[in-house]
Amino acid sequence: MSDNFKPVTLNFGPQHPAAHGVLRLLVQLEGEVVNKAEPHIGLLHRGTEKLIEHKTYTQAIPYFDRLDYVSPMCQEHAFALAVEDLLGIKAPVRAQYIRVMFAELTRILNHLLNIPAFAMDIGAATPMLWAFEEREKMLEFHEAVSGARFHAAYFRPGGVHQDLPDNLADKMRTYFTNFPKFIDTLEELLTENRIFKQRSVDIGILSKEDAIRLSCSGPVLRASGVAWDLRKSQPYDVYDEIDFDIPVGKTGDTYDRYLVRMEEMRESVKIILQCIDKIPSGPVMVEDNKITPPKRSEMKNSMEAIIHHFKLFTEGYRVPEGLTYRCVEAPKGEFGVVLVSDGSSKPYRCKLRAPGFVHLQALNFLSKGHQLADLPSILGSLDIVFGEVDR
Amino acid sequence: MSNELLEKYSIGEIQFPTKSGLASMLVNKDKILDIIQKIKEDEKLLYDQLIDITVVDNISSKTNYSSQRFTVIYSFLSLRFNKRLLILSNISEEDLSIDSITQIFESANWFEREVYDLFGITFRNHPNLQRLMNDYNFQGHPLRKDFPLTGYEEVRYDENLKKVVYEPVTLKQEFRDFDNESPWEGMKETIKKEIGK
Repeated sequence: MSDNFKPVTLNFGPQHPAAHGVLRLLVQLEGEVVNKAEPHIGLLHRGTEKLIEHKTYTQAIPYFDRLDYVSPMCQEHAFALAVEDLLGIKAPVRAQYIRVMFAELTRILNHLLNIPAFAMDIGAATPMLWAFEEREKMLEFHEAVSGARFHAAYFRPGGVHQDLPDNLADKMRTYFTNFPKFIDTLEELLTENRIFKQRSVDIGILSKEDAIRLSCSGPVLRASGVAWDLRKSQPYDVYDEIDFDIPVGKTGDTYDRYLVRMEEMRESVKIILQCIDKIPSGPVMVEDNKITPPKRSEMKNSMEAIIHHFKLFTEGYRVPEGLTYRCVEAPKGEFGVVLVSDGSSKPYRCKLRAPGFVHLQALNFLSKGHQLADLPSILGSLDIVFGEVDR
Repeated sequence: MSNELLEKYSIGEIQFPTKSGLASMLVNKDKILDIIQKIKEDEKLLYDQLIDITVVDNISSKTNYSSQRFTVIYSFLSLRFNKRLLILSNISEEDLSIDSITQIFESANWFEREVYDLFGITFRNHPNLQRLMNDYNFQGHPLRKDFPLTGYEEVRYDENLKKVVYEPVTLKQEFRDFDNESPWEGMKETIKKEIGK
């Protein structure tokens, strides 16, 4: 740089459409080249971990929907697994299938938001409209099982809250058999699109070594060529009984991250269809009324059931002392819960390990030497949602 | 876990009552840099990814791993061997500092900043130990057990002053925190006595 140019420090955000939430970035520029991008986070910090310490285990579930609010069920999944681990129980097989099914549905929902948002950041407006129509159809399935479009509170320690409604499995089968066609049309818009490629190929390259060094996980790690997926390597629930592939990228640029997500949606469809075929009948909750509430119909006839219900919704259930770490492959990467129990009915400490937090940390490394206009492209490809970064 | 390393560094291996079989060990905090360097480079371990750093405030609980105020929990993952490891280290209230591991794992940077912000534990030789989650001039460390849930200050925009003002928290209703302890279970002794009469 010649002496005429002084580095400029630019304040990006906290309210900026391309910041995907409330991100404040201090960008140091030399001309139009990014020297340093320092994220300032915490603008959406709600103290979730502290709040959870003051709630019973049942009351803590809805907080997990509000972390990464575009993939709610996957986070409940991690919490349910952690609590089950401490309680020493396992969800019934039917519940495990339902969980896997809806975790994958959540993955598609998440990617259907991230991909068009990323495309919009770099100039394509149509995918957003198309994807939202499909998302809306899928949220109906969400609503059918849990009663809520977003904040489901559906996965509970010990199983899932309710069984699938009649015909839902058939409706889902019809929908997801046709869904790959939509992925094809979305790909027609983007994958070979010249403008899209010009703005994403070879931008924000993350090598294999760097991805591991920077603690990346999920699609970001896989796009860099590391074949690592917790659903395969450390399977939970019934993932080990289901046949699916792990898409892996080559160069680790933003374009690869897009491709990996695209391919992951196809795999998720495969998993959902297999689950619908394989799902056995049976209970969807552990049948132990010390942990899970009794059926409504039982409560009409049984005094014991009423007492159980009352105890569960006032005191809650007690979880034996201990410490555990359980994680799931959330759409954004490894989402984990460090759960410490002191034997009471409230979690003593519940640390949430969010993938977005780690990925945002890598932003400075990724954007160094790029143009300022590439920054939204990199940010979009990392799939940042502030609910989980700030917690 | 190679026994040699365990014997050398840990105070004693601890088993958690979890069914997942999570490997964990308790380490003296002075040795933390040493041992984390070793588990990263040891060819039989190769814990090459740092997953998480977090802290538990033990003020109101008795645990089998700590008699001191804080326990730092490091979580590692070996992508090569598909294994996880938790390393625990205790910190007393008198000396709230521990060595930063940013020189070994770069991604520890934000994890340590978060811990500093929320628990007030300082990391020696950290490149940029500032608050991460809380407001720029926030006082206190909210995730400590003695920090009230409602906090001390609240923030609002004042229409007359045309700026954001900070005021002490005023609660419209008394803060209710139920301990959820069942009165019936505590009565066992009394009931026994009554029956004994």
